Amino acid sequence: MSHDTQEVSANDAHARGPLLLLLGSGLVWLVLSGVLALIASVQLHTPTFLASCAWFTYGHMQALQETAFVYGWLANAGLALGLWVLTRLGGEALRAGNWVTVGALFWNLGVTLALVGIVAGDATGHSLLQLPRYVQPLLLIAYGAIAVAGVLAWSGRRNETSYASQWYVFAALFLFPWLFSVAQLTLFVLPMRGVMQAVIAGWFAQGVFTLWLAPLALAAAYYVVPKVTGRVLPAYQFASLAFWVLIVVGAWTGGRHLIGGPVPAWISSLAIVACSLLVFHYLVVWLNLKGALGHGGAVMKFTAFGLLAYVIGGCADAFTSIRSFAVITQFTYFTQAQQQLALYGGVSMLFFGVLYFAVPRLTGKTWASAALIGGHATTAILGVLLLVISLGVAGWTQGQALLKPAVTFPEIAAATRPWLLLATAAYAVLLVGNLMLVVNFLQTLAAKPTVPAAALFQATSDIKETA
Amino acid sequence: MSTSSNQDPRLTQSAASDTSLLAAHEKAAGKQADEKGNYKLLPLALLFGFSGLIFWAGTYLNRFSGQFSGKIFDENSHPSTGAEVVAKIDPIVLGKKQYAAACIACHQADGKGLTGVNPPLAGSEWVNGSEERLVRIVLHGLKGPIKVLGVEYSAAAMPVFGKVAGSGYSWSDEKIAAVLTYVRQEWGNKSGPISTELVTAVRTKEGDRKEWSAEELLKIQ
Repeated sequence: MSHDTQEVSANDAHARGPLLLLLGSGLVWLVLSGVLALIASVQLHTPTFLASCAWFTYGHMQALQETAFVYGWLANAGLALGLWVLTRLGGEALRAGNWVTVGALFWNLGVTLALVGIVAGDATGHSLLQLPRYVQPLLLIAYGAIAVAGVLAWSGRRNETSYASQWYVFAALFLFPWLFSVAQLTLFVLPMRGVMQAVIAGWFAQGVFTLWLAPLALAAAYYVVPKVTGRVLPAYQFASLAFWVLIVVGAWTGGRHLIGGPVPAWISSLAIVACSLLVFHYLVVWLNLKGALGHGGAVMKFTAFGLLAYVIGGCADAFTSIRSFAVITQFTYFTQAQQQLALYGGVSMLFFGVLYFAVPRLTGKTWASAALIGGHATTAILGVLLLVISLGVAGWTQGQALLKPAVTFPEIAAATRPWLLLATAAYAVLLVGNLMLVVNFLQTLAAKPTVPAAALFQATSDIKETA
Repeated sequence: MSTSSNQDPRLTQSAASDTSLLAAHEKAAGKQADEKGNYKLLPLALLFGFSGLIFWAGTYLNRFSGQFSGKIFDENSHPSTGAEVVAKIDPIVLGKKQYAAACIACHQADGKGLTGVNPPLAGSEWVNGSEERLVRIVLHGLKGPIKVLGVEYSAAAMPVFGKVAGSGYSWSDEKIAAVLTYVRQEWGNKSGPISTELVTAVRTKEGDRKEWSAEELLKIQ
């Protein structure tokens, strides 16, 4: 097989329009969700903030920021980067690009309607599924239009072989509509009764991370790590087993959110066991991608941090799901810390890493500013660490206090307040960093190319075996 | 190949082509762990680790799943130890529900029936009299003339309620005991409860049979 040495080709230029549309809208939502998260975080320790306006109370703001973050930022960026990885590895131009464009427009219209609906009081009340029920079908159809391109990129790939990134994107593309449609059907169209609703909502919320966003992030990381380090992944013969463990076992971890809640014991026990089995998945991912650590450069810095957050978060899930831990951490800020570690520290940071790698190849231009990249990396890492640690300590304090009948609620609120103030600071730091990314992105788009795209990139060599 | 140190920080270069990445990993995926008898530590350790996790998972599930029962909320319970919590059902509540589901159509909400058509239950000597007779009426039904509170009902037709052949209702013994207990304390009736055991005993003794007549019942004490 003759190996191409050209890093960019007409395929990248071809995918530019639709994928930059997805990435750009994702970044808009990222900043908006950052503002909303900041407001919600302030309301947590200063309840009077915006309390006089019914539209902007904490319940609305929390639902808004979560929806903007997951369905605005993560979904747009994840789909863009997933499709990009599929087309790169497939070796053919992106097909059905117009479908992606139309799908992206309707997806973002749907997210906008969802936010308006939530402000108006139509949130469903289910975590990570706050989208008002009337926009859900629109989002499902728009998603389908975008995903068509992914299926075509896989089925029409030039290279017969397949790689871990491709499995993960392909699985994620199909698993989200499964999760989303089943949740819609069983929660809203033909609502199940009683405790089943909580079980389904937990299954969906966990599935959005385990079966949709995490696979998209892993696909990106599995692609970018060997590309930048130039080394074959050291434990690659286990990659397929780790993939199947995630896909098969991941769906059963949903009951994790209900440990200690009023559900049959086996649902919690099964989730605990599933969380433990996933440790194998995290171990293999770590062994394969640990080359990202200590490599230097913005792409690998984000990827390394995201990898650490993903693996540590996964192992923390396994430990804290065990009942003697869960009795303290469940239903406290600690679960918020875990969610932020997974969605922000893990998925988002991996997305950032690949985004910094992909945008120059899509646009044929270098990033406009190195300082803004460095600033974003520093603020993002600092912000996530601050956020996860402050929420984690707040949650642990809260959880232990809640178990002591003598401690009153005002005392608990007073004890967690300093940590919640720190969390607000973390959200502010993250927002500043994300603004840097957006400015850099817009400047890059606006800049005139100085040299032809092909000249920017060094000729690529063959990958090297690991020592 | 350039290293990361002398790169433009605004652009991360690739150190490997896409096609070589695909080809090399395709080869790596097919690699045998024990090529030429050289066992490598990493694959073996991973497989042992994974097997250990599966073993732990199976043990945990077996111990803490509550036999996968939908009724067990405490992971330490086992149905076999009798720790399963079965809510005790109030026979009056169940009986009232059963009465409202079926009996009410003929005997009416006030238990007075319809004079000349459906006999009353309120104050009835049949309801407040022999338990054995009463259980039989509901279990197997009753057909033909019967005298209640001095009024002759020439064509009474009490349906079959018990879990016996030809029953349109197939109520459990518990439900029959409950509905009888209910009617025996309602509308001014002041008779004692009917136990599920008695209903079971009568049903076992009589088995499947046609509806009783009032004459047959009067022979039973």
